[in-house]
Amino acid sequence: MATQPQNKGAADGSLYQSAAKIYPREIGGKFANLSKLATVTLLGLFYLVPWLMWDGRQAILFDMPARKFHLLGLTLWPQDFPFLALLLIIAALSLFFFTALAGRLFCGFACPQTVWTEAFIWMEQLTEGKRSQRMKLDKAPWSLNKLRRKGSKQLLWLTFSLWTGFTFVGFFVPIRQLGIDVIAFNIGGWTLFWMLFYGFATYGNAGYMREQVCKYMCPYARFQSAMFDKDTLIISYDEKRGEPRGGRKRSVDPKQAGLGDCIDCQLCVQVCPTGIDIREGLQYECIACAACIDACDSIMDKMNYPRGLVRYSTEHAMDSESTRVLRPRMFVYGALLLVLIGGLLTAMASRTPVILDIIRDRNSLYRELPGDLIENIYTLKIINQSNDARQFRLSVEGVSGLVLDGVADEISVAGGGVLSMPVRVRTNRDNAYGIMEITFNLSAVDDESITVIEDSRFLGPTP
Amino acid sequence: MVNKEYRGTRQWSRNRQAVAIVVWISFLSAAIATMLFFALFDPIELIAAFDPDLEAGREAGYAVGFFFFWILAALCSGVTAWLVRTAPKRDQQHR
Repeated sequence: MATQPQNKGAADGSLYQSAAKIYPREIGGKFANLSKLATVTLLGLFYLVPWLMWDGRQAILFDMPARKFHLLGLTLWPQDFPFLALLLIIAALSLFFFTALAGRLFCGFACPQTVWTEAFIWMEQLTEGKRSQRMKLDKAPWSLNKLRRKGSKQLLWLTFSLWTGFTFVGFFVPIRQLGIDVIAFNIGGWTLFWMLFYGFATYGNAGYMREQVCKYMCPYARFQSAMFDKDTLIISYDEKRGEPRGGRKRSVDPKQAGLGDCIDCQLCVQVCPTGIDIREGLQYECIACAACIDACDSIMDKMNYPRGLVRYSTEHAMDSESTRVLRPRMFVYGALLLVLIGGLLTAMASRTPVILDIIRDRNSLYRELPGDLIENIYTLKIINQSNDARQFRLSVEGVSGLVLDGVADEISVAGGGVLSMPVRVRTNRDNAYGIMEITFNLSAVDDESITVIEDSRFLGPTP
Repeated sequence: MVNKEYRGTRQWSRNRQAVAIVVWISFLSAAIATMLFFALFDPIELIAAFDPDLEAGREAGYAVGFFFFWILAALCSGVTAWLVRTAPKRDQQHR
């Protein structure tokens, strides 16, 4: 059965649309290849990256149990959250930028929904055969062959889903240890739960829901048109050239028959993963996978007509007007993007290895101590952002005769640790009156260049 | 008449669409809320403040937090969707 020749005819039946997505692969074409390349690259990255090592530990690890993120050589702590937020904003803005430029590139080639669906369809094709075979199989009564094919598909899908769940969790807990734990059946309850959860989500989304997610559930699909203008690249059917559509023999000259170039084979409709007819114009369901371009080009080749009846184009180009790539919209998105990326890089580069926070005791203005001394109390928070423990020296200045009390000569803070300590600062009554500015100075013992200076206030009696 | 058959086979009912949208959008919101919340608060400290005798790790804290946000967001968008969809038709026609 597996060797049965493919039915390359156009007008067969009623299988749900996603099955038809296989079709362009059988025809092939540059966009099908591009999509394959994107799928392999992105999935390859997803499944391989957690296994990469850097300096003896996992290169990319969002270590939730330890509350720190490792990104290659960089370690981020919870207080670095603004970086992550900025990164997400940059990602969103890039999406806007590329949408305005080239339409829904993301949907067709990079969206996880598309990428995993591609992988699942590939497995479906592997076990159940090509489109026509699968249609036949679904209609056929249950038999040993059907059970075998359906069973092996489910086995592949489930294994792949579980592996996906495992890899996903591997971004959050060290994957090598996780692998050992899984093999030894010694895995934590929550870890197991998230593995199954993500695995199930993959299975359901890529195996069954597929394009329904894009059609009904995706917010981006609904609002992306707001970023479009008449110069955005879209997949379009050249109506002027194609109409009036109609079947004809290859030998017939369309001009004499009064026909356009569209032979109405409906292949473009059948290959569409979301089941639309591109000839009706741009529709929000279109995820720009370009399968219809491949399909139509293959037919145009067979008919000896020029390619590109369905093609990437812009509304302006379709109306035979000039198309501009550089337009105000692109400059605005581009400039915003550059500013944000620049900001992120600057902020990352100027990230200090230590952070000092000072909170004045709110309960009392000052204390008078025997011996004519005035004392102020502060709470110091020292955050060591490096990976290793460090010793620090603390000093204070701004008022003559200032003395620190209750502070060790060398303050030790664990790697990634936050140390909260009360600090008493005193001076002679003669030096203290009203509100005075003072500065705390914290510097690392091993590296004098690591120094933070933080301002605060010292209160004394008003004369 | 192109592909009536194609389109008919895989269309979700209005209710199914609504449920799917509510579940999915609240999931995304919960993911963002969880990220923001736990960047500020350490689950260990929250658990300790809530009940010092409770022996639960960070993982449990994250999970409970995530599902709490998910349920909250799902309730919110669920009720919103329901109210919008059950609004009297007469009122909507005025616009």
